[in-house]
Amino acid sequence: MKKVTIFFLLLIFVLTAFVSVSQLFVVPKGWPKPNYDFSKNPLSKEKIELGRALFYDPILSRDNSISCASCHNPYNAFANANHQLSLGIEDKTGSRNAPVLVNLAWEKKFMWDGAINHLDMQSLFPITHPDEMGEQLDHVISKLKGSTIYPRLFYKAYQDSIVTGEHLLKAIAQFMLTLVSSNSKYDSVMRHQAVFSNQEKNGYQLFKKNCNSCHTEPLFTNHEFENNGLPINKILKDFGRMKVTGLAIDSLKFKVPTLRNIQYSSPYMHDGRFTRLQDVLKHYTLGIQKSSTLSQKIQQSIVLTSNERVDIIAFLLTLSDNSFILNPSFNFAKHNLYQ
Amino acid sequence: MKSGIATIIVFFTINTVVLFAQTTSNRILNFQPKFGNEDLQLIEAVYTTKNNDSIWIDVFKCYVSNIALLQNGKVVWQEKNSFHLINSAEQESLRLMLQTPVALTFDAIQFNVGIDSVTNVSGAMGGDLDPTNGMYWTWQSGYINIKLEGRSNKCLTRNNAFTFHLGGYQFPYNALQKVMISIQQNEKINIVTDIQKFISSIDLTTQNQIMTPGKSAMFLSNQFSTIFSELKQ
Ligand code: HEC
Ligand code: HEC
Repeated sequence: MKKVTIFFLLLIFVLTAFVSVSQLFVVPKGWPKPNYDFSKNPLSKEKIELGRALFYDPILSRDNSISCASCHNPYNAFANANHQLSLGIEDKTGSRNAPVLVNLAWEKKFMWDGAINHLDMQSLFPITHPDEMGEQLDHVISKLKGSTIYPRLFYKAYQDSIVTGEHLLKAIAQFMLTLVSSNSKYDSVMRHQAVFSNQEKNGYQLFKKNCNSCHTEPLFTNHEFENNGLPINKILKDFGRMKVTGLAIDSLKFKVPTLRNIQYSSPYMHDGRFTRLQDVLKHYTLGIQKSSTLSQKIQQSIVLTSNERVDIIAFLLTLSDNSFILNPSFNFAKHNLYQ
Repeated sequence: MKSGIATIIVFFTINTVVLFAQTTSNRILNFQPKFGNEDLQLIEAVYTTKNNDSIWIDVFKCYVSNIALLQNGKVVWQEKNSFHLINSAEQESLRLMLQTPVALTFDAIQFNVGIDSVTNVSGAMGGDLDPTNGMYWTWQSGYINIKLEGRSNKCLTRNNAFTFHLGGYQFPYNALQKVMISIQQNEKINIVTDIQKFISSIDLTTQNQIMTPGKSAMFLSNQFSTIFSELKQ
């Protein structure tokens, strides 16, 4: 009898733990397994809240002027709409365009060239980069220790008010892991809750034929590094993935970005060279530059009439997810800091 | 019911504590940074290399991981979760406590200098592996296995500085080094790390700044792995 009670108590305990975690992060139906190992950084409401507070706090920059959100704006699917190249402290210009932060739990490598190998480690880059937040790590830690809110938020999250690098990084990663976008019109159509217009349907067919090999459904990326035929920018001289691996075969390869919420994340490409989707389509049909590392997938030219290009754009707009852009739990929440 | 469980828990705790206390001990593993025969002193002390150049050492840190003890070529003890940041500037970091069985004989110690590739891609960790310890590259993920910084009149750089941040975990530039040295003293393990041996193997005029993974980092890491030996009594 006693044994049975203990068994059921345990079962209930395990089940409730499972339910509360799975509510914080849900794998949309039909999607692959996330790449992020949640067992090493189990999500909790308090940790996500801490991560969110840090994401929106300029305390992470040297002169307390720039937060992660300065370059990753929630209303642009966490990309940056204002600058082709990101703008850091003291108006310093970086060398790349800030990408969207969407469905990061499925990503394997981070940055346009994959220089960062794990989502936890991502924050180290902007915090210490002289053209971004320009801070020293030990100084960030001591500022957080001395602040009036963070020791309490760290305590709520980790039952330990001591601010450590590990906890700082993991909390920011937790917030970013929650940024899942899976409620676009495209998703509704896939769930048979909506239908494409004829134009969108045609665009979808053309997309599957010409774009899906790299921008693969349902995440709209194959997580690979590819050369999509952009001519090199003569001033930036950015060779992409080669910088990380040192291998000539990686020259001009960049991470295939997701196209979810592409409507909100102009300008486009690693250097923000295109402002409109029609410019992007023009590139794929007329502008592809041949080189030894050009992806096999586009060795054959993409041929699209101007109407077909318009149809593809109509399809791309079905990847916009309003509930993601306007999700209140992704925005800055000052009131939460003082609870 | 509750008291039953409590009794069981208390029983088991006492049992394991007693067992543990009987069979394991803290065996000290001591690292002694030296420059030739002298104890290494950071920043102030000036040393002379074999080529008669003057040299100062400002920073000396490295990771020692996966420590194991061997007898006749077989592993007889292995440390779990074995990652240690050795820092010349912090005495405590040079003295490790190995929880080994009391009665253990061994004739060699084995460890890695640096952090293995699996750990390198496993996200943020704490303690000695905390990426804010200054032993992690921020612009490109990866642990810095070895940090050696100093000054020498040989270096025609700003402040005559030389800077070696050695690491890299990705093929073909995996810089992790496996070290195995024979040991005679079993109660307490004393290991010398002789910086002079490393410095005299390189020409500081041409090679004074390596801060990225690659061929040079691999070569220098390999040189570095030869500086460990048992302290001669
Ligand atoms: C000064 C602008 C700026 C700031 C501040 C900034 N970022 Fe970024 N972020 C960028 C740029 C630019 C890139 C792309 C850089 C590259 O690929 O080299 C990027 C890339 C990323 C990526 C990689 C996304 C992917 O899909 O590969 C993540 C994640 C990220 N940032 C999170 C953060 C976090 C968290 C913070 C705050 C700690 C932050 N960023 C602060 C500009 C910024
Ligand atoms: C060979 C693989 C490949 C194919 C095929 C491909 N793309 Fe891309 N796409 C990429 C890569 C790689 C990038 C990023 C390039 C860069 O920034 O240097 C990219 C970037 C984009 C961007 C900009 C995204 C952003 O966030 O800045 C859009 C939009 C886009 N592609 C649309 C398309 C469309 C539409 C098609 C089909 C007509 C297509 N792509 C086919 C690889 C591909």
